[in-house]
Amino acid sequence: MKNPYLLVKNLTVQAGKFKLQDISFSMQPSDYLVILGATGSGKTILLETLVGLRAPVKGQMFLGEREITNLPPERRSFGFAYQDSLLYPYLNVKDNILFGARAKKKDREQAVLERLERISNKMGIAHLLDRYPHSLSGGEKQRVSLARSILLNPPILLLDEPLSALDPRMRQSMQELLRELHLSEQIGIIHVTHDFNEALQLGTKVLVMDQGRVVQQGKPMQIFNKPETLAVAHFLLVENIQEGKIVKADGLSYFRQKGNSLTLGPVSQATRDANTDQKAYLLARSGNIRLALSDGEHNREPNSWLARVEYKNLYHTHVDVFCKGCGYWQVALSIADWQRMGLRQGAQVQLSLKKEDLHVI
Amino acid sequence: MDLKHQSRSRTIFKKGLLFVFFWGILLLIILFFLLLIYSLVSYSNYETVVNVLRDPEFHFALKFTLGTSLLATALATIVALPCGYLLSRYRFPGRAFFDTLFDIPIILPPLVSGIALLIFFGPFLGEQLARLGIKAVFSPLGVVIAQWFIAAPFAVKTFKHTFSSLDRRMEKVARTLGFTPTMVFYRVTMPLARNGIIGGIIMAWARALGEFGATAMLAGITRMKTETLSVAVFLNMSIGDMKFAIATALVMLLIALTLLVILKVFLSDEVRV
Repeated sequence: MKNPYLLVKNLTVQAGKFKLQDISFSMQPSDYLVILGATGSGKTILLETLVGLRAPVKGQMFLGEREITNLPPERRSFGFAYQDSLLYPYLNVKDNILFGARAKKKDREQAVLERLERISNKMGIAHLLDRYPHSLSGGEKQRVSLARSILLNPPILLLDEPLSALDPRMRQSMQELLRELHLSEQIGIIHVTHDFNEALQLGTKVLVMDQGRVVQQGKPMQIFNKPETLAVAHFLLVENIQEGKIVKADGLSYFRQKGNSLTLGPVSQATRDANTDQKAYLLARSGNIRLALSDGEHNREPNSWLARVEYKNLYHTHVDVFCKGCGYWQVALSIADWQRMGLRQGAQVQLSLKKEDLHVI
Repeated sequence: MDLKHQSRSRTIFKKGLLFVFFWGILLLIILFFLLLIYSLVSYSNYETVVNVLRDPEFHFALKFTLGTSLLATALATIVALPCGYLLSRYRFPGRAFFDTLFDIPIILPPLVSGIALLIFFGPFLGEQLARLGIKAVFSPLGVVIAQWFIAAPFAVKTFKHTFSSLDRRMEKVARTLGFTPTMVFYRVTMPLARNGIIGGIIMAWARALGEFGATAMLAGITRMKTETLSVAVFLNMSIGDMKFAIATALVMLLIALTLLVILKVFLSDEVRV
């Protein structure tokens, strides 16, 4: 395996009464790392530490072979942008973008000026170069801020909630721009957000933070489908969280709840089989639960159970069906399936989960 | 329905009365201020003002006031910039105490400040300072010191407020762009604080220009020696030369209004860089 490009080891940071604890992760330039967490989870403090604006109490950071733990921000040269663009009001757009180059006395170099032209064309801000920040729209400011942070080819670009101040339309185009930048400039991006959709759409790797700790990391879909703690599940809005217990019998382990028993697999493979007969939670995404009409007979699929339709919520993309039977379940159906089945309130249905979608913690 | 309608119209009526009262107070105050200025202007005439403007004593007072107040303002700015910056940016033991110290000259009557300065530069340290060639009591230097003492706290307060109101993330971004902390101060903090700093300087200058109490105590009221415009007004009023006093007062009013306009321009949020 390739050596990590950015390696963070056991980073601990004290920020007033708040503490970031024992943060470890790594990334490659090809990674688009999304740091996900609720407000107050320590995302911005982590970003400020990575960029060199805060000194860690403990831990190490490496960029390639070089240790950067104690380097000041101006010598790390990471690209960094906060959620509000923070352009300098006394400089025009061109000087704002060239501001970093000016610090390094490179603002007159031909190569830098050519890159400025290329970047501003790519970002659609070439016509704004002589304007001052107060006359720009939110989206334009954000693009200028992004251009400023990548002008000098930073090894890594760190973005603090880059999309949250934008309206939905601008957000979409900015998201495309970020993806395009990541691919075309070959720049590793660390993107902090509280919105899991951004992680799903942009991230190649996700790090979930809660109360100053990394609680889970992995690929976006893996985290989306298999949160490892209840806190992560709640934060990621897992629709179905059912309480029960894990029971072992005949070499198999089961998730058992009132009136229902789902086979998890052979004991050796079962999730946390050590915790048998202890409280456990089944986490299931509404899109992973399969729903079929049932005549009430017991010729059911494995890992299925019967329920009745209670009510539905109709959206322009899908229908959320709420069913009661061995607990309450939220199931997402496509509009076509919903229409085909003609489900009504009180209809008896069979709900089931594929073995690979059975996630018990 | 009717009841609802009635109660709404009663609320509007009450609100209406309240606003009539507010507007009334505002208009009365404006009228009073305008009449005050008019009474001052009407008590003099063009010829008298022109004569006073040609008077050597007036020339002396004007030049002396501008010279001392500008010097005092420059000194106040030099002291207030680091003080305002440190008080705004750093938490250190005794910070609240130092911050309160700067309030003392603001809340103290200038006459009392003047007595304190007189004792300090007189019986307390006067001899030692005289050996170093510094003579503040009853001298033009005393005028500068008194004006500086009164003006500097205003500058410190304004600068502190200005630095506190800046978005520190602007500075952080500059660090990530390659600026050292010193470069950030010159290239980011100072340009961002520019309007507030100019506002503070003008405020300090306005205080120094009109200073009377502390100046009178420390530097004395000596014609053509420590005679600032305020002192000139007082001196001439006390000998019954109303024309001179009023003409001088008018010039001071003009200077004050000009400074006020400049201050408004620099402190206004609508004015963009």
